[in-house]
Amino acid sequence: MNLYTPHPVRVAEVIDETVDTRTLRLEFKDPAFAESFDFKAGQFGEYSVFGAGECTFCIASPPTRRGYIECSFKKVGKVTNAMRELEVGDTMGFRGPYGNHFPLDRMEGDNLLFIAGGIGLAPVRCVIWNALDLRDKFRDVTIVYGARSVGDLVYRRELEEWAGRDDVKLWQTVDPGGETPDWKGEVGFVPSVVEKAEPKAENTYAIICGPPIMIKFTLPVLIKLGFTKDRIFTTLENRMKCGLGKCGRCNIGPVYVCKDGPVFTAAQLEDLPPEF
Amino acid sequence: MSNEQKYLSESEFDALVRELIASGKRVVAPVAAEDDLEPQADYRAVSDPAKIVLDGPLPRRSLKEFFLPATEALLRWRLKKGDVALDETEADYPETVVVGASPCDAAALPTVDRVMDWDYRDEPWFGRREATVVISRACPGRDSSCFCPVVGLAPDSTRGADVMLYPSGEDAGGYLVEVITERGAALVAAHSKHFQAPREPAGVARLREEARARVDGNSSARPDEIRRWLDKNFEHELWDRLAERCHGCGACAAVCPTCHCFDIVDEPEGGDSGTRRRNWDTCQAAVFTLHGSGHNPRETQNARFRQRVLHKFAIYPERFGEILCTGCGRCVRACPGGMDLPEILEELGRLATSSQSAGGTP
Repeated sequence: MNLYTPHPVRVAEVIDETVDTRTLRLEFKDPAFAESFDFKAGQFGEYSVFGAGECTFCIASPPTRRGYIECSFKKVGKVTNAMRELEVGDTMGFRGPYGNHFPLDRMEGDNLLFIAGGIGLAPVRCVIWNALDLRDKFRDVTIVYGARSVGDLVYRRELEEWAGRDDVKLWQTVDPGGETPDWKGEVGFVPSVVEKAEPKAENTYAIICGPPIMIKFTLPVLIKLGFTKDRIFTTLENRMKCGLGKCGRCNIGPVYVCKDGPVFTAAQLEDLPPEF
Repeated sequence: MSNEQKYLSESEFDALVRELIASGKRVVAPVAAEDDLEPQADYRAVSDPAKIVLDGPLPRRSLKEFFLPATEALLRWRLKKGDVALDETEADYPETVVVGASPCDAAALPTVDRVMDWDYRDEPWFGRREATVVISRACPGRDSSCFCPVVGLAPDSTRGADVMLYPSGEDAGGYLVEVITERGAALVAAHSKHFQAPREPAGVARLREEARARVDGNSSARPDEIRRWLDKNFEHELWDRLAERCHGCGACAAVCPTCHCFDIVDEPEGGDSGTRRRNWDTCQAAVFTLHGSGHNPRETQNARFRQRVLHKFAIYPERFGEILCTGCGRCVRACPGGMDLPEILEELGRLATSSQSAGGTP
């Protein structure tokens, strides 16, 4: 079989996150492959529904939880519509893992600041659980998560779990107007909540993912707090087909998101041409 | 030339092709395109050497489709009771001899090899590469759209060829044969009875010189200068107008020997089986980079054309040390909007020179 051949996976669980966002838990059908499968936080794969085609998503579950992978997606096109139709027991395809990863090894012994907006929590959630599963290796863990409205918050059960842990500081926020009467979190945009949370920059790595506009306005806040650009990590998405550096569409100037990324530092982003 | 040389007469050329076909090999060669008002040629699999037109026009499409077909099945799937069976579609690639490749088409093959083996090895591409021997024929130099000298090639470049044929320039025809690679040597040895002791007909050198003279003056662009300028000028007013004539049709990419971008799509056949296919794609189409969210990093045709120029003359050279262009000129000939790559390279060259003399671009 050639390198474009996917591994069959079984839908083991379907979790509705929001009205239009869903998480699938997938188990490899081949037990030997399931045993050998390994990846690092931040890597992605090509998920496919046979008949609809392939689509690129990060692996949203952490590598520390073996035996399955998860992907979270919003219903926007042909493949995600087909994924929406899948039920427990159905078969999909997966090939990967591809791309680079968050350098968690390098972050050991330091504080972690996670910032995410909307479904941008998916790749960040992978790193959060990876770090929490190895909790002794890291110092303070702070999470700032925002969505347009309460109904748009994803991973609700996990947000509750993080809120209840005393070794995690969680800030949740929704955009003004997006709150419900019983909303206990912040109301405001992510950059201002980061400002309010006032994480210390010393010995801290920031991991951020969300809509471009959120990242654009959060970076200056982090810089003001004293973060250096080489300690701020983000993950980019671009339309991809092969995931292997061949099909020619995900590049930003000389940088291939599928091979050189998807994880980049803010310093690296600054060097890229403005085409993402 | 320090390579092994031979001589191949016109009649032995035909006999060689017949023998190759008889041995079960697929022979791909330029043949006259039928039913055309003007003489045209295409690379096709042939069953009769009489059909081969080695001294005709440049084939309309490059050799690319014999290594990266315009559409190919990557796998077949069958769904049954919640499970899936995946079938390899084509693991056997036909033993092929290309006879009469244009040097600009042969040169593209080792260039595209680089991206196809960039830590992940593209088996379908290399399956076909390894099953193929390329016999090139020195080009006479075609027309004003040719610009192979700009990218460091020439009408008689041997890059990508296993065996090179140089027309004798004699009335009786025949070729001076140069063996370029081991694979070429093996082919010549296996069919040695058709090849005669080397002799260099006087016409060979004359034809090579004439061919070079025919295309040398077409462009004075310097890709190294252009690349330095491209590296610094992602944003420049030139990019705001350059693609005004571009329709975004992608004809340039289809005929290009080096354009290799592809799409992967599923074609269902009924409800529970189908084929996953790889199809040629083009960076000139808006949907190429369109995100699910509706965001498009390359929103305008100008941005998409800039990508084409950058990929060929800056990005690929930076990643792989090769220019992703062999100067064949097909993009110029095929463009319905009159986009002219060598002309654009000239303009980029002028900008590069003037920015250098102005003390460099900030």
